[in-house]
Amino acid sequence: MAHRWGMAVDLDRCTGCEACVTACRAENNIPTVGPDQAAAGRAMHWIRVERYWEGDFPDARLTFRPVLCQQCDAAPCEPVCPTYASHHTEEGLNAQVYNRCIGTRYCANACPYNVRFFNFFNPQWDRPLQLQLNPDVSVREVGVMEKCTFCVQRINAAEIQATADEKPQKDGDLKTACAQSCPATALVFGDLNDPESAVSRLSRSPRGSQLLGDLGTQPKITYLARQSQT
Amino acid sequence: MDRRIFLKVTAVTGTSATLASCGNPEHAIIRFIPEEEHVPGVAEWKPSLCPLCQAGCGVIVRVMEGDAEVVRNGQAGVMRMGLAKKLEGNPAHPISQGKLCGRGQAAIQIAYHPDRITQPLKRTGPRGQGQFQPVTWDAAIAELVAQLDGLVTSNNQRGLAFLKGGGRGQRDDLVSQFLDRFGAPPAVSFDLFNYDVLRRANLLSFGREQLPTFDLARSGYVVSFGADFLGTWNSPVAQHAGYGQMRQGRRGVRGAFVQVEPRMSQTGANADEWVPARPGTEGVLALGLAHVLLSARLRPADAAGRAGALIDGWNAGLTGYTPADVEKQTGVAAARIERMARALVEQPPGVAMIGGAPLAQTNGLFAALAVNALNALLGNVGQPGGVSFMPQIPATVTPRRSSPPERRTLQAVTAAILAADPSPVQVLLVDSTNPVFASPSGWRTREALLKVPFIASFGSFIDETSVLSDLILPDHAFLESWVEGRPESGAAVPVATLAPPALRPLHQTRATPDVLLQVASRLNKPLDFPWQTFDEMLMAAFATLPAPSADTDAWTAAQQQGGWWGAADAAGQTRPGGPAAQAEPAGRTTQAGGTNQGGRPDAAPVRALEAQFDGEPAAYPFHFLPYASHAFLDGSLAHLPWLQELPDAMTTAMWSSWAEINPQTASKLGIAEGDVLEITSTQGSLRTPALLSPGIAPDVIAMPVGQGHETFTRYASGRGQNPIKILASAAEPETGALAWAATRVRVTRIGPPNGDLILFAGEMREHPHEHEHER
Amino acid sequence: MSDADRRLTDDLLRPLLTTSARFWVLVAFLGAIVATGLGTWVYQMYWGFGLTGVRWPIFWAFYVTNFVFWIGISHAGTLISAILRLVNARWRRPVTRCAEAITVFALMIGAMFPIIHLGRPWLFFWLIPYPNQRGIWPNFRSPLVWDFFAITAYLTGSVLFLFLPMIPDLALVRDRTTGWRHRCYGVVSLGWRGTTKQWNRLETAMEIMAIAILPVAVSVHTIVSFDFSMAPVPGWHSTIFGPYFVAGAIFSGIAALIIAMALLRTFLHLEEYLHPVHFQNLGKLLLMMSLLWAYFVFAERLTVWYGNETAEMAVFRATQSGAFAPLYWTMVVCNFVIPFPILALKKTRTIAGCVVASSCVLVGMWLERFLIIVPSLGHKYLPYSWGTYRPRPVEIIITISTFAAMSLLYVLFAKLVPIISVWELKVGAHPAHAAESVEARDDEQALFVARTEP
Ligand SMILES: Nc1nc2c(c(=O)[nH]1)N[C@H]1C(S)=C(S)[C@@H](COP(=O)(O)OP(=O)(O)OC[C@H]3O[C@@H](n4cnc5c(=O)[nH]c(N)nc54)[C@H](O)[C@@H]3O)O[C@H]1N2
Ligand SMILES: Nc1nc2c(c(=O)[nH]1)N[C@H]1C(S)=C(S)[C@@H](COP(=O)(O)OP(=O)(O)OC[C@H]3O[C@@H](n4cnc5c(=O)[nH]c(N)nc54)[C@H](O)[C@@H]3O)O[C@H]1N2
Ligand code: SF4
Ligand code: SF4
Ligand code: SF4
Ligand code: SF4
Ligand code: SF4
Repeated sequence: MAHRWGMAVDLDRCTGCEACVTACRAENNIPTVGPDQAAAGRAMHWIRVERYWEGDFPDARLTFRPVLCQQCDAAPCEPVCPTYASHHTEEGLNAQVYNRCIGTRYCANACPYNVRFFNFFNPQWDRPLQLQLNPDVSVREVGVMEKCTFCVQRINAAEIQATADEKPQKDGDLKTACAQSCPATALVFGDLNDPESAVSRLSRSPRGSQLLGDLGTQPKITYLARQSQT
Repeated sequence: MDRRIFLKVTAVTGTSATLASCGNPEHAIIRFIPEEEHVPGVAEWKPSLCPLCQAGCGVIVRVMEGDAEVVRNGQAGVMRMGLAKKLEGNPAHPISQGKLCGRGQAAIQIAYHPDRITQPLKRTGPRGQGQFQPVTWDAAIAELVAQLDGLVTSNNQRGLAFLKGGGRGQRDDLVSQFLDRFGAPPAVSFDLFNYDVLRRANLLSFGREQLPTFDLARSGYVVSFGADFLGTWNSPVAQHAGYGQMRQGRRGVRGAFVQVEPRMSQTGANADEWVPARPGTEGVLALGLAHVLLSARLRPADAAGRAGALIDGWNAGLTGYTPADVEKQTGVAAARIERMARALVEQPPGVAMIGGAPLAQTNGLFAALAVNALNALLGNVGQPGGVSFMPQIPATVTPRRSSPPERRTLQAVTAAILAADPSPVQVLLVDSTNPVFASPSGWRTREALLKVPFIASFGSFIDETSVLSDLILPDHAFLESWVEGRPESGAAVPVATLAPPALRPLHQTRATPDVLLQVASRLNKPLDFPWQTFDEMLMAAFATLPAPSADTDAWTAAQQQGGWWGAADAAGQTRPGGPAAQAEPAGRTTQAGGTNQGGRPDAAPVRALEAQFDGEPAAYPFHFLPYASHAFLDGSLAHLPWLQELPDAMTTAMWSSWAEINPQTASKLGIAEGDVLEITSTQGSLRTPALLSPGIAPDVIAMPVGQGHETFTRYASGRGQNPIKILASAAEPETGALAWAATRVRVTRIGPPNGDLILFAGEMREHPHEHEHER
Repeated sequence: MSDADRRLTDDLLRPLLTTSARFWVLVAFLGAIVATGLGTWVYQMYWGFGLTGVRWPIFWAFYVTNFVFWIGISHAGTLISAILRLVNARWRRPVTRCAEAITVFALMIGAMFPIIHLGRPWLFFWLIPYPNQRGIWPNFRSPLVWDFFAITAYLTGSVLFLFLPMIPDLALVRDRTTGWRHRCYGVVSLGWRGTTKQWNRLETAMEIMAIAILPVAVSVHTIVSFDFSMAPVPGWHSTIFGPYFVAGAIFSGIAALIIAMALLRTFLHLEEYLHPVHFQNLGKLLLMMSLLWAYFVFAERLTVWYGNETAEMAVFRATQSGAFAPLYWTMVVCNFVIPFPILALKKTRTIAGCVVASSCVLVGMWLERFLIIVPSLGHKYLPYSWGTYRPRPVEIIITISTFAAMSLLYVLFAKLVPIISVWELKVGAHPAHAAESVEARDDEQALFVARTEP
């Protein structure tokens, strides 16, 4: 049975620690742009932890919400792309083919979640920082769009391994970098086609909802609401 | 001067950003013999240890083959070698449990940092100018040996001082043995955000001079007094794991938690209730809660045992801590105190924790004792869902001293140096600490160090302290060396993390413990250590540990799984709170966990002390609250670009420093977001952008520690402001620990935004317009 | 032929045959600006698109504004002159060619921007469906690919539409010139002899083009509007965008035409041929479009405000009262408040009045395009990701240079081709009494007169 990769984000577990953010950067060769470019709005974070304040002192409250590509089944970023650089895979992933991207940035405008990031300049790694680069993930050149891939390199590796071992993957063996690092286990990744997988069970939770679901983007990420005592 | 050094040195003067970014270095033609053990494209996972904080999380490193430009005995070339690609938590490790925090994720950048010191350096220019020239290891070690022999001949062994960070484990044992054998006073450890007060309090209350471990996974109601336990405090990753379970890990039960602190931390943001109590009154609030429990007979007074007896007036039922009295002092409503106290028993198990700013007050010890007493009263010590003390590993190869080690604070040492002429310290060795950056200007640390005739440091980077040294003997990166650690907290079983080098050294560096052993053996009067190298010492230490199974010994097993840890408890868990983790009866001496010596089994009850603050409220109307940056801790990680560009969890600031101020206060002072402020204490002043936050009390100004480095690699140098510089030297009297939260300041608007505040987020509210209506 | 006709021919061909120093100065000046613009683009390609002010989450700004603006201007000619041809408004005769020329040049310039704004412009050809051994075609679902088809079709059509009525005049020039010029004009006039057969063919071809070009023109700006309305971006995702954009295009197109005519009139001394009546009539058209534009804006804003949808309202506030309000209200003043009274009152609907109104409209319509794009992108659904935009020098320089390019092309065109259709004027009465003679003569006769010329 084909896989359908998805994620559950438990906002009641998420503490805003941002381990996921750095884990993603490390896994996916996301360059740092430096202070000047960061100030110019060019910082790239495939996953970000949104924080929103409510109320005023002393009743101020703050909530965290990790936002990454929602891997929409009806992804607005796909039809607008003139070169198929942003397209849908058989497994329902929203894939990004860097070689094909010519940098119209249309997809980034169309994405309601603003999770697509553009390479305004060629990325720089002050030597020897480049020695850390993950050989399983290609480095993006100037003028191309990039975004969360659900760590597709890990997915592919796992599927190749499974075929080689001639045994199906076990739920939980395959983790995205962000989910693997998340110390509170707020991020749970897995196969939505397996009704018994942890992610499927969590996605059925009554606390669950989809971010901007009413736009009809059909995200494959379910957010479990934060509960409160008071 | 060859090019690498040139680069590094200019990096120190902060001008190399352009130089370094101007393309690849010359292409090396020489190819050194490659490492054979790697299969192209195949990843290998090797255990290691995250060196960045006291938690001591076990990690695993993804190692893959790659080509690296290296210099080997003076010859630049390319070497195909194992390279680190990614760090993950070690799933087998009882503390990290397969997880890591963001800092741990970024630790990998230390190994490949462009401004790492690649070989021994000798000072050429005047001190502090950062002019060094490369020297061979033989020359470097010879120079250090000569200096030490000099002390011996002049019979001034006590003229040697060793300044180190707050680490524990065999490496630190080696240092203290080195000093012991040489006849020098014990090492001075300096760590801005240290845990001396908490350890002392636990020693007094529970007989364990050790950090507490919390079984959050099974807690029902948690009251945290300023402890940033989901950020930087104690054992963040282990506490995260427990927290996740506490919230959503149990069917039908959701643990609640209350955070008491005047400035909402990232931890506080997750609390169900945020209680901005007046700074310095946390202990009073804790006793207020205890009073409710006692007066309502919700708990028997004697349940608190010795921890309670330590508190003056405990047995009298804490009269004078009625909710009404406590409200007056803390500003927390009496009704709220009642409710919190009842919740502690009605949603069992209830537990309290204290850390951070409350302990960095002049009355910090009292506050800690009060919270300990509250926990004891709640009867949660060593119980599931409560506080416990991780069993410590007795194994050590250090012969215990007969006399208790004298405790010397850095402040005392600098004072001594400045007082006497010539300086009582003739030779200073510095390892993994940066006091020139992280100590208040009142201590005059830099001045004192400049008075020391000879300084050698072992760090991997040129920072404000090592730039003063005459000799730099660069250490390996942690991934390149034997690592060993004895975490104090975070698990229910004893843990000794151990790992062999995961990588070949990239540069011509040497492991500091090995260097110490080499120095020891080359002295005129060698300090005859039984080991040639550090791993021999580790082997000896682990030989004393019980073998996990019949077919292997502790040493071998530890190297494979990344450490040695005690067997899981009956419930099969290595998580905290199991029966393995009882607090010990008062007074009994524990082993490496720190000893009871210096403790006072028969301590007299302590009275409530008012927190003293530096600066007159009239002239300095605000409490100044520096806090450990989640990215940089005390500033020691400001050199990692990944952490510089990580948006701060609360403010989304990148590459910046800022001062948090309450919006009402700001509008009174005519301050808008991003405006440049001048913050002035009795010690001096600094200028930094204002950041308006609803999560801070109107009489508090908060500022993250970590930025404001003068010399600390191209990424941190000259960036932001260092709040430590304007802190008063106030201390907690009992331990002498710096009371870094006891300074008052005044704030004036200097001018409009200057672009120094770089925020990632556009809006701070999800419905900005509706909020305007609320106003 | 009559003296009047001879004088007319002399006047209209004078610019081609005599060249003043002023001309060369002008060309050099404009050329320099255009060169700077091109240089700036190369510079931007070399260093990376980051030289612009574009940022997360505002990924389109000045360049796309210019794209929409110039495509809009291009509606001056073809649409206007086609309509006027079909309804056979005689006062059109001196106007059509200036208009059609604007179309072609504006399109050429506008079509540059989809390439200029690419992250990797050197790969622009992947937007084009061409057979390649990888068997990869563009994504025909993408409005950007629709743009490609729409613009190429429109450009081809407009060029033909401009060229056909030029043939008799090119022949005329051929007959008035000697040497290499004679040969050049000989080639481009395609051996025009003015035979009845040729006249019939020309007339038919022009009729067909006039009809064919209309739907193309309308579709082009509708498709340009789809670039926005197809994306679920607050403020973009609106059904009104098609007609709204077309109306705006014609609006700005007429404004551009009025200004162009006024300039020609003074610099080429065509006072006798471009008569106030032409400005009067174009002014009326401009007035109507101004009202239409105001209506569309009102309708669009009203539904947003009444619908009160969170994200849409964020954009609404940003433009109406927020950071973009100054620009927004400037736009309203330029597109309505100023032009309306000027054009509504007969005594202010003078040439000068029309020029003032038109200049305002050009500014206002550029702002309108900008205000459709930037505030929406800066206020999408998740406020955490809101942002704001400031242009950088490269964008400003390139924008300015496109206006210079337009002028340059126009100046050169007026130098090479009679900017006023000579034969059509001859067909019509002498423009001096065009106003009263509108009903006087009927076209068959006119054509006969024209044809039977030696
Ligand atoms: N140094 C070095 N040289 C090598 C090799 C090596 O490993 N190292 N490998 C050799 C081998 S095995 C191969 S197959 C060749 C491959 O060499 P190339 O055929 O050059 O393959 P690429 O460089 O991957 O792609 C060529 C260009 O195609 C562009 N492109 C991507 N999609 C499209 C498209 O839809 N249309 C068009 N027109 N262009 C597109 C890419 O942007 C790229 O610029 O290189 C050979 N040469
Ligand atoms: N991101 C990205 N991925 C690509 C491509 C791309 O353009 N971009 N190109 C694709 C294409 S066209 C190709 S052909 C593939 C090539 O991909 P690979 O087939 O992986 O090619 P290499 O990595 O050059 O060679 C693989 C290994 O073979 C080893 N090797 C060299 N000589 C010998 C030998 O004599 N015996 C043995 N046993 N091993 C040897 C090398 O050390 C190297 O580690 O990559 C594909 N993947
Ligand atoms: S790592 Fe997990 S807990 Fe931390 S911010 Fe990311 S999702 Fe939240
Ligand atoms: S979240 Fe954005 S980028 Fe990801 S699939 Fe959906 S629309 Fe595309
Ligand atoms: S930026 Fe790249 S991926 Fe996005 S739409 Fe344009 S070509 Fe496609
Ligand atoms: S799934 Fe992978 S790519 Fe996506 S945010 Fe997580 S770590 Fe990054
Ligand atoms: S908590 Fe983070 S920084 Fe501290 S040891 Fe663990 S991973 Fe390293």
